[in-house]
Amino acid sequence: MKEFIYSNVEKEMEVYGYDSVVKSHCRMCHGGCGVLVYTKDGRVVKIAGDPDCPINHGTLCSKGMASHQLAYHPDRLTYPMKRAGAKGSGKWERISWDEALDTIAERILSYKESYGAESIVMGYGTGRDNEAVIYRFANLLGSPNVLTAGHFCYGPRIATSIITCGTNPIVDYENHPKCIMVWGNNLVISNPDCYKGEPFSVSLDKGAKLIAVDPRLTRIAARAHIWLQLRPGTDTALALGMLNVIVNEELYDREFVENYVYGWEPFVKRVSEYPLDRVEEITWVPKHKIVEAARMFATTRPAAIQWGVAIEQQVTCADNNRALLALMGITGNIDVPGGQVLFKTPGIRNVGYFGAHRMLPDGQSSKRLGGDRFRLAGNFAIINPKCVWDAILEEKPYPVKMLFFISSNPVMTRGNAREVYRALEKVDFMAVSDFFLTPTAELADIVLPAATWLEMDYIGDFWKRHGYILPRRKVIQVGECRSDHEMLNDLAHRVGQGEHWWDDFEGALDYILEPMGITWQDFKKMDYIRGEVRYEKYKENGFSTPSRKFELYSSLLEKWGYDPLPQYREPPESPYSTPELYKEYPYILITGMRSPGFFHTENRQIPWLRELHEDPIVEIHPETAKKEGLREGDWVVMESPRGKIRQRAKIFEGMDPRIIAAQHAWWFPEKKDPGHGWDESNVNILTDNAYEACDPAMGATHVRTLLCKIYPENGEGDS
Amino acid sequence: MKRYALMIDHESCWGCKTCEVACKQENHSPYGIKLISVLEDGPKIVNGKLDFVFQVNTCRHCDDPPCVDVCQEGAINKREDGMVVMDYEKCTGCESCIEACIYNAITFDSDRGVAQKCNLCHHRVDRGLIPACADNVCLAHCIYFGEPDEVQKMIKNRKEIRQNGQIP
Repeated sequence: MKEFIYSNVEKEMEVYGYDSVVKSHCRMCHGGCGVLVYTKDGRVVKIAGDPDCPINHGTLCSKGMASHQLAYHPDRLTYPMKRAGAKGSGKWERISWDEALDTIAERILSYKESYGAESIVMGYGTGRDNEAVIYRFANLLGSPNVLTAGHFCYGPRIATSIITCGTNPIVDYENHPKCIMVWGNNLVISNPDCYKGEPFSVSLDKGAKLIAVDPRLTRIAARAHIWLQLRPGTDTALALGMLNVIVNEELYDREFVENYVYGWEPFVKRVSEYPLDRVEEITWVPKHKIVEAARMFATTRPAAIQWGVAIEQQVTCADNNRALLALMGITGNIDVPGGQVLFKTPGIRNVGYFGAHRMLPDGQSSKRLGGDRFRLAGNFAIINPKCVWDAILEEKPYPVKMLFFISSNPVMTRGNAREVYRALEKVDFMAVSDFFLTPTAELADIVLPAATWLEMDYIGDFWKRHGYILPRRKVIQVGECRSDHEMLNDLAHRVGQGEHWWDDFEGALDYILEPMGITWQDFKKMDYIRGEVRYEKYKENGFSTPSRKFELYSSLLEKWGYDPLPQYREPPESPYSTPELYKEYPYILITGMRSPGFFHTENRQIPWLRELHEDPIVEIHPETAKKEGLREGDWVVMESPRGKIRQRAKIFEGMDPRIIAAQHAWWFPEKKDPGHGWDESNVNILTDNAYEACDPAMGATHVRTLLCKIYPENGEGDS
Repeated sequence: MKRYALMIDHESCWGCKTCEVACKQENHSPYGIKLISVLEDGPKIVNGKLDFVFQVNTCRHCDDPPCVDVCQEGAINKREDGMVVMDYEKCTGCESCIEACIYNAITFDSDRGVAQKCNLCHHRVDRGLIPACADNVCLAHCIYFGEPDEVQKMIKNRKEIRQNGQIP
């Protein structure tokens, strides 16, 4: 047999006559895969996974492969523009980079002078590896207000794990857990920070037992040994129920509990408030299944919990995370091979240091919007979006005059989209840096053309907690596009921050790497750097918490005036918390199912990816569809107290008939009017963002579970 | 003569559709034409339990391919190594192969006026490269290319380890 070799680079080069192959680091999701970028005649023509990369082992997803369709897309912004008509009129005029940055700088200095630096809000969405540079700019400017997805995505995992055990425990797939509990996550399709689907899949192939916690039957749930099909939004109750079993049956790790946890007695008292009868009633999960799953998880070691964003976009955000941390901790799975490891990052200047949080001038952090209300978030420099919209619309507690969104599309991605839209229409001045004229960018005064990952040098995975950094190498230049890093480095000089920045951004990369005694040019020659790998480090120095222990009972939450132990709270809208509303809106709507190819609002204009899904889809149980007169493929109207949208019906038996599952972040780049259909199928038209509906500590907007009614769209247009 | 086949361990497929895009990247088939596609099967009740799997559909390169028999132009050929390859120069777009294929694995490309199917990346295989969809792109490692008996053995072994939990 001919010898075939996987990912045969030399042969590819020879057969196709490529000019070069560049190793780099993809960022079509929240980052992470090593890639090989093949070029011909100066253009990227093929992208493949890098077989030598320890993150993805040569595999790559559809988004990564389609990156050059993004880079060369005809609709891409390739030069700066300023508004040439009324806001949102779709009229634009090309300008130079100098004019664009001078205008932005002038505005920044003038608002700072008149209203204080806090009147300027910087923002990013999920972050295109530009998080640290944006924080650096804002902190040096003196603005405590950086608006990100951090209140309800990844930020909570970081904040809750830091206050509980010092850093974020990462599943050690390299050493193959024997039991994996996937909690509200679909990592084979999505991209939960620090994880890729491939190592998870390999661990299952090695025989790991699988528990899935999900209201929907994903393929992961279908493959699971135990599927806990919970009522949406009841995660904390389910976790407390499992903890109840583990404590009462004494299945916990006695040595760990006796020596390394803080607050065991009050914790035991708290879990005893969640007997299984009560938990079954709350969660709709049969008692015997909870017991079976708790036993399997606690007695199969090493075990790990694969978590993600779903549990964070709830009113119980922080407690969901804290209850799962408790499960990891008391079962003895923290910092052990095949469990959840507190990995050490390489010895560089880390993301917090580079973000210059300590350089925010005295007196400015107390002005952080919502900082006194959402005190866990505030302590991690994270703000709740409604605080910004209120500051624009009502000028409370002070006016916000300028927004600068760098890779963010909040009219699609933040709760109560109509309020977001009003705020963006009203704000005095808005600049946006992005790849396309998104529905958000269309409301800007100035738009800047951002570079994709193919067009920049950077230290990939700089901010992650899995212990690796990987070089991202510039392959091409498209139009006048500039990386957000280069752009902010330039802008910083124009607003008087020059002494803290560099001649060009390579200087920043050298600065980050300097403690390791290397420069960017040295790092560029390497495949990756991994931090030191050691286990059970807490046995030497304890955990990096106030008590030096694993804090089941959080002394910091207590200090900030919160319940130090996890407790269940009913979703703000549910059959039980709002029974009257439930009569009019008789279905529970969940809003975050993931589809391959898309990354939140991104990629709906990329042919290979849009081809995977042409329309927004809402899943409806066959019994419900029958009752409401809906057939597969019909346009369905979903209505909540905030508004209505439409998506196409997909009949789906894999969930409770009382639940409807919609997709998020849909807009239609092919519609050429400036709105691009932003409010037709946007699930955040339906969601609520009231402060009472947010997690009291983290400010997470409860966008994942609400009540709705559904009906067929009237008139023509069906199917 | 060595024989080659593309085989899929459907039980392992996660439905990520990467193979669809890997095929696009290699073969540049037009929008809407998929030479490999990932289809949902379920959710449905199987043995009293809800199940949900993905089925990856592509040309099976049949031992006795009906598409070869019906093609008047002789545009489709079964090679000695097992691959069933379509010659687009000879195809007149009569679509009889599309009707003959029981797997629904041939599509009509109205832009070019020809039938389109997976040719198992014969242009790669003949030069020592693995077909695009099977070339270590799949996160589940569930797409195999090679000698059919060997591949079947590998799939079976992997399934045993997965089910019996033998961790080395």
